[in-house]
Amino acid sequence: MQEFAKIISTISLSMIITSYLIIELRNLRYSAYMYMIQAVLMCTLFAIFAIENHGLYYWAMTAFVTKVVIIPWLLLRYIKKTTDREFQPLIGYLGSIFLISAVVVILYRVTHSYIGFVAPSQFATAEPFRTNLAVSLSIFFMGLYCILVRRDAIKTVHGLLILENGVHLSLVTLAPALRETALIGIVTDVVIAVWILLYVIYGIYQKFGSTDTLQLRGLRW
Amino acid sequence: MNNEILYLSLVPAIAGILIFILGRKSRALSETLALLGTVITFLIAVKIFGQTAVQGGVLTFWNEELRMDALSGLIAGLVALLGLIASVYSVPYMRREVKVGAVPAERMGVYYGWFMIFLSTMLCATTINNIILLWVIIEGTTLASIILVGFYWNRDAIEAAYKYAILLTVGITFALFGCVLLYSGASQQIAGGIDPLKLTEIAKVAGKIPKSIVLLSVVMLLVGFGTKAGMVPFHTWLPDAHAEAPTPISAMLSGVMIKVGVYALIRTVLIFYPFYSIVSTLVLVFGMITMVVGVIMMMMQEDLKRFLAFCSVTSMGYILMGLGLANYLGIYGAIFHLLNHSLMKALAFLSVGAVIYSTHHRRVPELGGLGKYMPFTAVSFYAATLALGGIPFFNGFISEFTLFIAGVKAGFPWATVIAVAVAILNVAIFFHLTYQVFMGEAPENLKAAGIKEVPVMMWGGMLILAFLCLLIGVYPQIVSPILNEATKAVFATIAMP
Repeated sequence: MQEFAKIISTISLSMIITSYLIIELRNLRYSAYMYMIQAVLMCTLFAIFAIENHGLYYWAMTAFVTKVVIIPWLLLRYIKKTTDREFQPLIGYLGSIFLISAVVVILYRVTHSYIGFVAPSQFATAEPFRTNLAVSLSIFFMGLYCILVRRDAIKTVHGLLILENGVHLSLVTLAPALRETALIGIVTDVVIAVWILLYVIYGIYQKFGSTDTLQLRGLRW
Repeated sequence: MNNEILYLSLVPAIAGILIFILGRKSRALSETLALLGTVITFLIAVKIFGQTAVQGGVLTFWNEELRMDALSGLIAGLVALLGLIASVYSVPYMRREVKVGAVPAERMGVYYGWFMIFLSTMLCATTINNIILLWVIIEGTTLASIILVGFYWNRDAIEAAYKYAILLTVGITFALFGCVLLYSGASQQIAGGIDPLKLTEIAKVAGKIPKSIVLLSVVMLLVGFGTKAGMVPFHTWLPDAHAEAPTPISAMLSGVMIKVGVYALIRTVLIFYPFYSIVSTLVLVFGMITMVVGVIMMMMQEDLKRFLAFCSVTSMGYILMGLGLANYLGIYGAIFHLLNHSLMKALAFLSVGAVIYSTHHRRVPELGGLGKYMPFTAVSFYAATLALGGIPFFNGFISEFTLFIAGVKAGFPWATVIAVAVAILNVAIFFHLTYQVFMGEAPENLKAAGIKEVPVMMWGGMLILAFLCLLIGVYPQIVSPILNEATKAVFATIAMP
C-alpha cells in the first residue's frame, strides 16, 4: 500500500475539496455534479485499496452504481423539477469557508494525532489508513455542518450525502471485511432515503413555492 | 431452522407488494389484502410469542442471522397485535377521510401498501441478529413510514414528513458510524471462523473492546437509535409526525415504532453495562431529561394528538430510566413499561382518532361533553387516561411503581423522586384534559352536527386494548412470567466480567 500512499493522500484531499464545493456552490446542479466527482474519487480509492483486499473491488462497483449513477440522476431529476438556485444560506461564503476550514483542520489534526482513539487495531493506525480515517471523520462533520446551517432543502440532502460518504469511506479502515449483503443493505437504504426525501421536497416546493426550510414553521411546540 | 421467523416479516411484505400491484384500482381489494395480511401475520406472531416469550425458547434461522428470544418475541407480538387492530380501524377511518375529501380514493392502495411494508420492517427489526442489517432495517422502518406521515399531502403533513425524514435519517447515520465502530472493535477480539457481525458474538466480547471505541460508539448509537426512540434532545420530529399522520399510523408510530428504537438500544448499548458504568449513567440521565421535558411540553398543548405525542416522549423517559438503572428490576420495569405503553398509547391515539372521526376537531378548546354521545370512545379514553396517568388497577401504575422501586434499589433515589413528580404532573394533566373533552356540556356546534359513536370496527379494537390495560393492572401476574423471560433474555446476551 505504501507505493500508493501519495495517490491515496491526493485523492483524500480531493474528497475534502469536493465536499467544500458541494456545500459552497450555490448552483444545486453543479453541487450534484461535484457529488458525482466525489463519488468517482471514492470508487477510485476503493479500487486502490482493493489491490491488497480484493473484496473492495465489489465495494467500488456498488458505490459506482449507486453514487455515481443513481443518486446524481435522482438529484438532477428533482433539481430540474424544482429550482437549481440554492436558497440564500444562513451564513455567507466567507463565514462559511472560515467555519468549515476550522472544523476540518481541527478534526483532521485531532483524528490524525489521536488515531488510537478510534482505530480498532495496530494496522488501522498505520498510513494510509490513518489518513483515511481522518478524512472520513472530517467529511462526516462537513456533512453535518451543511445540514445544520443550510436552509435549502435540496442542499440539506447534499449534506446528508456528504455525511454518508464520510461513513462509507471509513469502512475501508474500520470494516474492510464487511460482507456484500451488509454493504448492499447500506447503499440501498441511502438510495431509497434520497429518493423519498427528494419526493417530499418536491411536495414542499409545490405547496410552499420554494425549497426554503425556514418556511416550514407551521408546526411548532 | 425456524421458518416462522422468515414468514413473520415476509407475509406483510408480500401483502404490501400485492397491494401496490393489484390494489391501486380497487380500494376494497387493498383493504381485504391488508386485513388478510395482518391476520396471518398476527397468527404467526402468536406462535412465535408462545415459543419465545412464554416458553423462553430461542428461534433461529439462516445460521443465526435471524434470531428471536423472549424480548424479540414480546415486541414482535406487540407489533403484530397493534398492526391488526390498526388495520381493522383503518377501514372505516380512511373511508371517511376519502368521503370528506381529505385524500383521493385512488391513494388508498398507497396507504395500505406502505402500511404493510412498515409493519414488515418493524417485525423484521425484531428478528435480526446482524449489527449492520439491524441498522439497515431500523432505517427501513423510517423509510417505509415517511409517505404515511405525509399521507394527507397538505402543508402541515409535508412539513411533518420532511422533518421526520431528515431528522431520523441524519440521526440514524450516526448510529451507522456507531455500528461500524462496534463491529470493527469486536472483530479484532472474535476468533476466526466466527461471524463478528452477529450481535450475540459482539456481546460476548464487549468487555474486550477498547474503551475509547466503546464510548465513541455508544454516543453515536445513543444519538442514532435515541433519535428513533424519541429521546430528548433528538425528539423534535416526534410531535409533528405523530400529530400529522393518519390516526392509525400515529398509533403505530407511538405504540410500536419508537419501541423498535429502544429495542436497538437494548441490543447494542446494554451489552457494555457490566464493563463501563458511565454507559448506564448516560442512559439514565438522558431518560430523566426526556421524562421532564416531555411532561413540561404536554402542559403546553391544545392539540390532542400533539399532547399524546409529548406524552410518548415522557413515557420513553420512563423506559430509558429503567434501562439506565441497570439492575434486574430496572430492566424488568423498562420492558414492562414498554409493553404497557404500547397498549395504552395505541388506545389513547385510537380514541382520539374516534373523536376526530365524529367531530372533525382535535383542538381541546373546540371539544367538550363527548361522553354522552360517544360512550365506547369515552370508556376507552378514560381507560387510557387512568393507565397513562398511572392510577392503581391500571397497567401504567404497576410498571411505573416497579420503576420507582427499582430506582431506590439501584441507589438512585433522586431518579425516583423526579419520576414520581413527573407521574403526579402527568395525572393532573390527563384528568384536566379528559374532563375538558368528555365531560361537561358539548359546544353548540357539535350538538348541532349530531355527533354519534364510531363504527364497531373502530371501537372494537379500542375496547380490546382497554380490557388489556385493565387486566394487566388488576392481575399483573398474567404478564410477569413473560416479562421475566424477556428480562432474562436481555441479561443472557450480556457477558459478565
